[in-house]
Amino acid sequence: MNTLTEKMRALARELLEKGEVKYIIGWEKGSLWYQSPPVFIDRPEDAGRLIWDEFCVNNLAKYLLDDKYLEGRVGLFVKGCDARGINRLLQDRQVERDKFYLMGIVCPGVKDPRQAAGLSIEQREEVPLAAKCLYCAHPEPVVYDVLLNEAGEAYRPKRPAGERFEDVAALEAMSPDERYEFWARQYQRCIRCYACRNVCPACNCRECIFDRSQSGWVGKRMAGSENAFYGLTRAWHVAGRCIECGECERVCPMGIPIMTLNKKIIKELNELFGEYEAGVSLEAEPPLGRYRTDDPDFS
Amino acid sequence: MVEAVARANPLVPELGKIIKIVDETPDVKTFHITTEKGKPFTPLPGQLAMLSILDVGEAMFSITSQGPEHLELAIKKVGMLTEALHEAEVGQTVGIRGPYGNGFPLEMLVGKDLLFIGGGIGLAPVRSLINYCAEHREQFGHMWIIYGARSPADLCFKEDLFQNWPRVPNCRVDVTVDKGDENWTGPEGFVPAFVEKLNPSPKGKIAVTCGPPIMIKFVLQSLEKLGFQDDQIITTLEMRMKCGIGKCGRCNLGSRYVCLDGPVFTLAQLKQLPNEY
Amino acid sequence: MLKIAKEKMPELLNAWAKIGKLYVPQDQDGVSNFLPWDGKGKLTLGQGNSVLPPKDLFFPRTETMYRYQRSGGALSLEEVVENEKQILVGIRSCDARSIALLDDVFLTKGYVDEFYRRRRENTLIVALACNVAQDTCFCTSFGIDPGRAEGVDIQVWEVDGSYILEAGTEKGRELLGQAPALLMEAGEGGLPEAPACNLKVDLAGVTEKLQQMFEHPFWAQICRKCLGCGLCTYLCPTCHCFDIQSENRGDSGIKFRCWDSCMFSEYTRMAGGHNPRPSKKERVRNRFLHKLQYFPERYGKFGCVGCGRCLSYCPVNMDITRIIGGIKEVDLNG
Ligand SMILES: Cc1cc2nc3c(=O)[nH]c(=O)nc-3n(C[C@H](O)[C@H](O)[C@H](O)COP(=O)(O)OP(=O)(O)OC[C@H]3O[C@@H](n4cnc5c(N)ncnc54)[C@H](O)[C@@H]3O)c2cc1C
Ligand code: SF4
Ligand code: SF4
Ligand code: SF4
Ligand code: SF4
Ligand code: SF4
Ligand code: FES
Repeated sequence: MNTLTEKMRALARELLEKGEVKYIIGWEKGSLWYQSPPVFIDRPEDAGRLIWDEFCVNNLAKYLLDDKYLEGRVGLFVKGCDARGINRLLQDRQVERDKFYLMGIVCPGVKDPRQAAGLSIEQREEVPLAAKCLYCAHPEPVVYDVLLNEAGEAYRPKRPAGERFEDVAALEAMSPDERYEFWARQYQRCIRCYACRNVCPACNCRECIFDRSQSGWVGKRMAGSENAFYGLTRAWHVAGRCIECGECERVCPMGIPIMTLNKKIIKELNELFGEYEAGVSLEAEPPLGRYRTDDPDFS
Repeated sequence: MVEAVARANPLVPELGKIIKIVDETPDVKTFHITTEKGKPFTPLPGQLAMLSILDVGEAMFSITSQGPEHLELAIKKVGMLTEALHEAEVGQTVGIRGPYGNGFPLEMLVGKDLLFIGGGIGLAPVRSLINYCAEHREQFGHMWIIYGARSPADLCFKEDLFQNWPRVPNCRVDVTVDKGDENWTGPEGFVPAFVEKLNPSPKGKIAVTCGPPIMIKFVLQSLEKLGFQDDQIITTLEMRMKCGIGKCGRCNLGSRYVCLDGPVFTLAQLKQLPNEY
Repeated sequence: MLKIAKEKMPELLNAWAKIGKLYVPQDQDGVSNFLPWDGKGKLTLGQGNSVLPPKDLFFPRTETMYRYQRSGGALSLEEVVENEKQILVGIRSCDARSIALLDDVFLTKGYVDEFYRRRRENTLIVALACNVAQDTCFCTSFGIDPGRAEGVDIQVWEVDGSYILEAGTEKGRELLGQAPALLMEAGEGGLPEAPACNLKVDLAGVTEKLQQMFEHPFWAQICRKCLGCGLCTYLCPTCHCFDIQSENRGDSGIKFRCWDSCMFSEYTRMAGGHNPRPSKKERVRNRFLHKLQYFPERYGKFGCVGCGRCLSYCPVNMDITRIIGGIKEVDLNG
């Protein structure tokens, strides 16, 4: 067992014993060596289920929405991207800061279980870093109550020097027809399972228009055009608020490059409104979420 | 029912027409529907039909009555399709498919005294059974109809309640409203309390009840108080439905599909199923 | 038994594709699915299960049921009758069982679903035995033989760079007869041994136990991590729920059905907002009870075939094998 796991368990046990939190959300070991799904711990004696390893990929921030009216606090472990998810929810006024206790983890980068499938545990090192970690700029949590490890050199993830907008550039190099063909093919595959939406901390509307099929905005027909409409609508709804946690693309069973769409929008927004990173600071307003009378387009 | 429907596509409606519309209450109308070949099908009391206006939607309704050439559906205005139906005129083309569901267990009712308890639009399915019993009067014992609605204006099937059914031999009708108006001289109060006051004896009786869920809940308690056993009480359920033929999955109550194995259940049967309706 | 060299397989597929629309697992943008074969695709035969199950070929994610047209005052309606011949190549034993389960749903219990029946009767099924079980496979726990599929027209095995083919039905024999030049007698030599699944579940008594667990706090506990997406049900080869909707353009329109999922909140929401399954507790419970209690009660078989798709793809790894284990451990008196 690694020392971080030990620390997590000890802290969780202490918080639960003292009644400082009602329950704790972390990760536990799944059936397979490369699965570390979310777990909810209510009793100090269950703290031993918590673990930290490179497969703790899930962003846990979104679970705070399930228990908004809880009396008392929830304890939550946060990696870098998870912490930005917390800021997302705070800035969107979805949760109140005093309702949860954040235990920060400086993240060495995590791995996608789907890329480990078929390998043996001896090949553990060969599993590549999750796509979302390749361009992560904030492995240290931007918000926490306590930090469990240090941001020392040893913890610096070895990231390939990937261009943040590499995939976007590849798409921009295509002709409009090729681009259209590319996205049409992708969204032809989409099955509208809404996993990408449900996992996303920026998708926090109380009622999503896609859950109101009667509204007539979008057909329930799983056809390329309707699917693309879904994908585009979601991309616009998170524009300027996407924290680049990559969860949407990770969970998509149909391999749709959702992050390329998100990053294209981020890139455009940066060019139009200046550099902005969502969820990094509560003070910096999202470019599409502010209202100014000195806006050049205001008249 | 099993193989008779095997080849005709049960999910594709027949086209029919509205031939008569009766205003029951401010938000309930009864629609008489027929097709070119006459009555679309001949349902048993308590069975259901899927009615559609093709470009609006499709929904399940109880078949409240039938004639030799038509079916009658009493429909409350609650949403898209039902609003469109309320705006429709005689002559409007509709889609209709069915009959669906099990209907009332006639074999269990034959020879028994019958107590019918309805609330609001919930009288619609029960009405098909009342009319059946009235037509086959000799097969059943005493009939007692207890019905209530929010106000006198909300009473459905007034002609039946005040003219036709009181004339059925050996049949009693009691009507209450939650709150009367200046012209109302009848009883006031909620259905469950009304039932308790009328104090029907459970001996040799079967009670059939249908209404809004909250009414059903309290009527069941009242019946229990009066000494009715679970197998003496019959009710009908509503769930959201799409196919009507036990395939689309959505109306399941445990391993039963309400569209196919229901909507009519005895309380004894319901108590065997998960409490999830 | 007949035989073809592995690298000749595309030629056999080309020959069969002339008889009907042929679907075979292929890679598209890194995702393996049953796609129409055009002679050029990248085959993924023998590389584990497709992401989407083959149910899409019998029960498409979206299917037009009928069209309607208004002209003048008159309205007409036309049923869409799909009678195209399909050949489905490379399904696994678990998916073959799932088709038998869908047959129970769509073809029995009072009504025949004509849309399903037509596609089903027009489809020839060629199964490929598994040489290795994936980490998430547990089909053997359901009595499924990964080395031989049930009820298929042709069974195929991969042995030493060749495919061995054996017809299981008359239609399968006819299909094998369509490409005599490509197939040779297999001669002697054994079939590969069926792999063993590492993952196992003990199903004894699970249905009976669940019959007493509807109100158990177990469900409130296990549902917590579920995100309420429809992924697990859309990827499940046995899930059969659908919605019916229409789409209008001016004077004409279509009525279609499309997959739906009991994991969505809209699924059971009724007039006035009443929802018999208001939270994820009820919805997660329904999914597992349907697979493990309701399906066995109604059709005498489990509604899961151990294909492992939900284990591999659920974003939060809601693991049905662990849940079965958890059910077994529940103390009904505690
Ligand atoms: C077995 C059965 C018998 C019924 N008998 C009658 C009857 O005799 N008379 C009558 O007026 N109504 C009856 N209903 C209810 C009727 O089906 C709904 O009122 C109708 O579906 C509403 O359709 P809509 O398009 O107008 O409403 P919508 O615009 O679809 O929706 C309004 C609301 O109703 C919900 N809803 C959609 N379908 C159903 C449904 N099938 N059941 C309940 N809520 C639904 C929607 O989620 C929404 O909240 C019966 C329902 C069932 C299941
Ligand atoms: S859109 Fe994707 S990357 Fe952005 S916040 Fe949502 S889940 Fe994360
Ligand atoms: S997760 Fe993928 S398949 Fe599912 S709705 Fe999102 S884009 Fe479509
Ligand atoms: S179990 Fe998993 S796949 Fe299924 S709805 Fe919940 S989160 Fe989605
Ligand atoms: S429940 Fe999961 S393992 Fe079972 S058949 Fe469905 S997808 Fe496969
Ligand atoms: S009820 Fe749920 S689990 Fe059952 S078939 Fe339908 S979607 Fe699948
Ligand atoms: S309405 Fe489809 S199963 Fe009952």
